[in-house]
Amino acid sequence: MRHTSLFSLYFTLLIALLCQLFPWVGQGIIFRPDFMLVVILYWLLRAPNLCNVGTAWFAGLLVDLATGSLLGQHALSFSVAAFIALSYQRRLVLFNTWQLAGYVTALLVIERVVILLLKLFEGNDNPGWHYFWPVITGLLLWQFMILMFGGLTRPKTN
Amino acid sequence: MLKGVHQKLEAQQTPAFFVRGPSPFSRMVFFCALSISIMAIDARFNYLSQVRQAFIAALHPLEVVANAPSEWYRDVKKYFSAHNALVQENYALKQQAFEHQIMLQRLSTIQAENNHLRSLLNGNIPIQPKAVLGEISHMGRDPFTHTVVVNRGSQHNIKAGQAVVDSKGVIGQVTRVYPFTSEVTLITDKELSIPIQIERNQLRAIAFGEGNNTLDIPYLPTNVDIKVGDKMVTSGIDGVYPSGLAVATVTKIQQNPESPFAKIVSTPIADVSNHLQLLLLELPEAKESELIPPAAAEVVNHKKEDAPKKNAAPRKNGTASKNISSKNKAKTNASH
Repeated sequence: MRHTSLFSLYFTLLIALLCQLFPWVGQGIIFRPDFMLVVILYWLLRAPNLCNVGTAWFAGLLVDLATGSLLGQHALSFSVAAFIALSYQRRLVLFNTWQLAGYVTALLVIERVVILLLKLFEGNDNPGWHYFWPVITGLLLWQFMILMFGGLTRPKTN
Repeated sequence: MLKGVHQKLEAQQTPAFFVRGPSPFSRMVFFCALSISIMAIDARFNYLSQVRQAFIAALHPLEVVANAPSEWYRDVKKYFSAHNALVQENYALKQQAFEHQIMLQRLSTIQAENNHLRSLLNGNIPIQPKAVLGEISHMGRDPFTHTVVVNRGSQHNIKAGQAVVDSKGVIGQVTRVYPFTSEVTLITDKELSIPIQIERNQLRAIAFGEGNNTLDIPYLPTNVDIKVGDKMVTSGIDGVYPSGLAVATVTKIQQNPESPFAKIVSTPIADVSNHLQLLLLELPEAKESELIPPAAAEVVNHKKEDAPKKNAAPRKNGTASKNISSKNKAKTNASH
């Protein structure tokens, strides 16, 4: 088990914001994973003593400011996803890799659906199924995070 | 004895493991309420635009870092682009410049003649708007809106509401201005509308963005004199876009028997995806505000406050209801 610290949390969030700011063009924007969401979900499940729903809300607000969308949309969806992530957090240590991947997929889908609902309220058209591509790429990013910063806390079995 | 045990238990503190402040549910409810109220404030009032501007300004160094790799890539590509291609391009450009020069010679005489004729007719001589050259730094990050971000901002005297054009035609309008960058909403965005004129027969109309790289001209009867291939230019009656700029060409006309209106679809002429440079035209100075009575001027000012947001206040239903209401008024007047 690798060490977790507030520094690594905020550093990875900064990197995620940088990736979000990267000029995505053409097809890239369809496949772009929600960097901030995946990183904040990872830290929520990995180290819930370091961050909370409020951190997720703040990360969402940063995404709103950076993308120029209506202020509060991502903040709302991030805090909903964070709440659902946290409510099962204690049970996750018993999950195997595939179950965990399924759980994270569900979280990412929920966040996308919340954003979609908000955008539809705002008067946008239905974007179609390719709108859910970031879930797949987000899952890849999740695996990368686990590779980089270690899996979830799990009791030692010898 | 029981009492004693109780006291002992009370003296104990809860282990740190369980102390986590308010439950996630109450936190979630609080933050959801907070974000909903922020959304309402952001959508209805302008209080948060200052916050946004300050944040974007603070974010500028980070943005520069994020943009660096693609700029390096572009530079390297430029460096290695074949000499032959450059020579060819140079030759083509020279030829084009020569042709343009000949056309310009004619233009200056025609313009002089036009000004003279207008002065004979006591008309106003159209003013050539000043322009600032900008470069697209990236496309908008929100996939739901059609925007581009340009590397000119309030530091370069850019104001919200300015028209943006490229060498072929109108691109859109500046909607948000940050210190070093500004956001340009494209004419294909759902919330932008543009007053146009069909070049062939001078028919005036308003084109609305469709949100999918096309424009729509609603509320024209099925027998309207518009053909596929007609060119639309700006009419210039809104005071934002100078008249005569190319906007779009009509690509499809559908006549639905159930609807009294024709569905006219057109594609923009300006090609945003292929260009980097574009021109930000200066807003015409509002001289009319001195001429109109104060009550009307107030309305104009009020409109101007709204204008930067997007100059498409009357959306589809809005215009229809307006037309109907004015008709009703006419009827009631007649009956009186």
